[in-house]
Amino acid sequence: MIVPLEQVLLLAGLLFGLGLICVLVWRSNVIMLLIGIEIMLNAAMLVFVAASNHWGAADGQVFALMIIAMTSAEVSLALALVVYLHRRRNTVAVDEFRELHD
Amino acid sequence: MRTSLLLIPLLPLAGALLNMLLGSRLPRRLSELVACGVIWASFGATVLAALQYSQPVIIEAAPWLAAFDLRAPFSFSLDPLSLSLCLMITFVCGLIHLYSVAYMADDPGHVRYFALLNLFVAAMLVLVLAESLPLLYLGWEGVGFCSYALIGFWYREEKNATAGRKAFIVTRIGDTAFAIAIIWLFSLTGSVSISQLNQAGATLPLATVTALGLLLLIGATGKSAQLPLSVWLPDAMAGPTPVSAQIHAATMVTAGVYLLMRLFPLIGRSGTVLAAIAIVGGITAFHAATCALAQRDLKRILAYSTISQIGYMMLGVGAGAITAASFHLLVHAFFKALLFLGAGCVITALHHEQDIFRMGGLRRSLPATFWPFLAGSVCLAGIPLTGGFFSKDSILAAVWQHGGPLYLSLYGLGLLTALLTSLYTFRMIYLVFCGSGPTPHRLSPLMERSLLPLALLGLCGGLLNLPEYLGHGLLARFLAPLVVEPHALSSATELALQGVAALLSLLGLGLAHQRYGGARRAQRLQEAAQPARGLQAFCLHGWYLDWLYERLFVRPYHWLSRTLWQQVDEGWIDGNLDRFANLLGRLGQRLGSWGTGRLSHYLLSLAAGAALLIAWLAWGTP
Repeated sequence: MIVPLEQVLLLAGLLFGLGLICVLVWRSNVIMLLIGIEIMLNAAMLVFVAASNHWGAADGQVFALMIIAMTSAEVSLALALVVYLHRRRNTVAVDEFRELHD
Repeated sequence: MRTSLLLIPLLPLAGALLNMLLGSRLPRRLSELVACGVIWASFGATVLAALQYSQPVIIEAAPWLAAFDLRAPFSFSLDPLSLSLCLMITFVCGLIHLYSVAYMADDPGHVRYFALLNLFVAAMLVLVLAESLPLLYLGWEGVGFCSYALIGFWYREEKNATAGRKAFIVTRIGDTAFAIAIIWLFSLTGSVSISQLNQAGATLPLATVTALGLLLLIGATGKSAQLPLSVWLPDAMAGPTPVSAQIHAATMVTAGVYLLMRLFPLIGRSGTVLAAIAIVGGITAFHAATCALAQRDLKRILAYSTISQIGYMMLGVGAGAITAASFHLLVHAFFKALLFLGAGCVITALHHEQDIFRMGGLRRSLPATFWPFLAGSVCLAGIPLTGGFFSKDSILAAVWQHGGPLYLSLYGLGLLTALLTSLYTFRMIYLVFCGSGPTPHRLSPLMERSLLPLALLGLCGGLLNLPEYLGHGLLARFLAPLVVEPHALSSATELALQGVAALLSLLGLGLAHQRYGGARRAQRLQEAAQPARGLQAFCLHGWYLDWLYERLFVRPYHWLSRTLWQQVDEGWIDGNLDRFANLLGRLGQRLGSWGTGRLSHYLLSLAAGAALLIAWLAWGTP
């Protein structure tokens, strides 16, 4: 074990916080929102891998693989949606999409 | 026996059902024929039953109420009392039905009318023949409902519908007391059969019997229009006149007296109850006679006279003279039906004029009505040798014979009432039939002809129960197995009492002649143009009983209802609910304003919520 668990967790927390800030602050573009979500997911994945390594159990790594598969699917779908939205409304600003409220 | 007894109440019921279900599809003549036919067939069945009659019988027609200990089948009992009443009811009602055919000839609602009239008779016959109290109560409520529907028969006029409601509500007060008495009797003795109750009465404590008797008396005052529940009957004139005749003569108002007679072996043990019955009867008789003295409406005079005569019957029951009371009940039914049907003739002939001060001269222009009406009037006034004279005198003699200061003063009151009765009766005769007045239009001969048998029965009604010195009382011997009569008066006393009564009725006739006869009639007509004042107004408005009840009961009740409605229901319950709903609504709007629709806001709140949750998990939990 080269890197201690605490440091990995710290890094993961930092990554998660950065992703969250990205999601909360960058309102003008849906793609940035998706990127923020990706960063947060990767932070979570990192925690899984670190924990798996720490306790010597394979489950966490399996889960990490699953998250990778799921994220790729999610991103491809989400990007398709973004392209579609941009075509319809000619914008990708997050707060423009509020039809459900009005 | 069984068949004919069952047919007595079932035939009118079948007629009522037939007219109710199919009446509007039948030709008018046929539906009238059905209505009259079933009543006369019922009369035939009664006669048949009377011919076969040898001793009291009780038959059980069908099971009815049966739960736990309660057994109240449809059982009918035929004894001398119910048999004589059934004969009277079916006969008088038969004539009234015939009369109605002519009276209602132009009315489009004849189907409803005849159906209700038949149902009325059926209910009364059930009441009379009932062997158990619940069955009697069924008939009791049946006549109450039919009277309501028939008094308000021309319901398009507000006044008539109100009169119907008044009759229903006022009698309902008495009905409630009666229902309580039935339930109490059942809980005491475990039986509702009248014959069993009359036997079991001897085992009950006297105080209980007194309370039960008073409850039954309240029930009887409601149905029989006695004080203090007499106010509905004068207003019941709103219905068609044959209905009034039926209510006053054969059905409905005699029911209360009949109930007391039926249960006399039970309640007769208590002297208090008897005294209360006698007092109610005596005072009502006097009260109604004074009221009748001042009335202007022909039908209202007759209504008050009915209340007064029923008062006599109650007085008779109170004195323990069941025979005398039922004798008066029968004779009264004949002459009162006669008077009402006669009044119907007069009113129809004068284009629905009811004010006796606007009538006159009918003696010559309507002789076929005048003579039967006069016959009814002399019976009502108790002119010697008519039926009314003998029956009223037998009640007064029984009261006299009962003795004691209370009964002697009631006897005095009864005599005074007899004088007043004769006075108001002949006042009516003089005003309606003497002098001159408007020309009547022609009447249907059927109407006038149906008066004749009643006039004969009224005049000769005395033969039913002649006093001892003239031979044997038919009715007294017939009823003998049922009632324990006080031993008869000596002939001399009886003659003396009858002499006094005869003198008083003739004195009443004299006074009426003095005041309304000949030329003095015109003077009274002039006086009548002025509004009534003082004592006259007091009597005209029935001692202001309606006014009193309005103040005592109706207005406080209105006030209470309005308070409950506006303050409690609308103000308090609804108000609080409204305030609560408003609060929730405002809260919802406040929460709803959070939903801005901006994704960034949602994300922010999501993050903040998650942060809070994590913080709580990290530091909040111990």
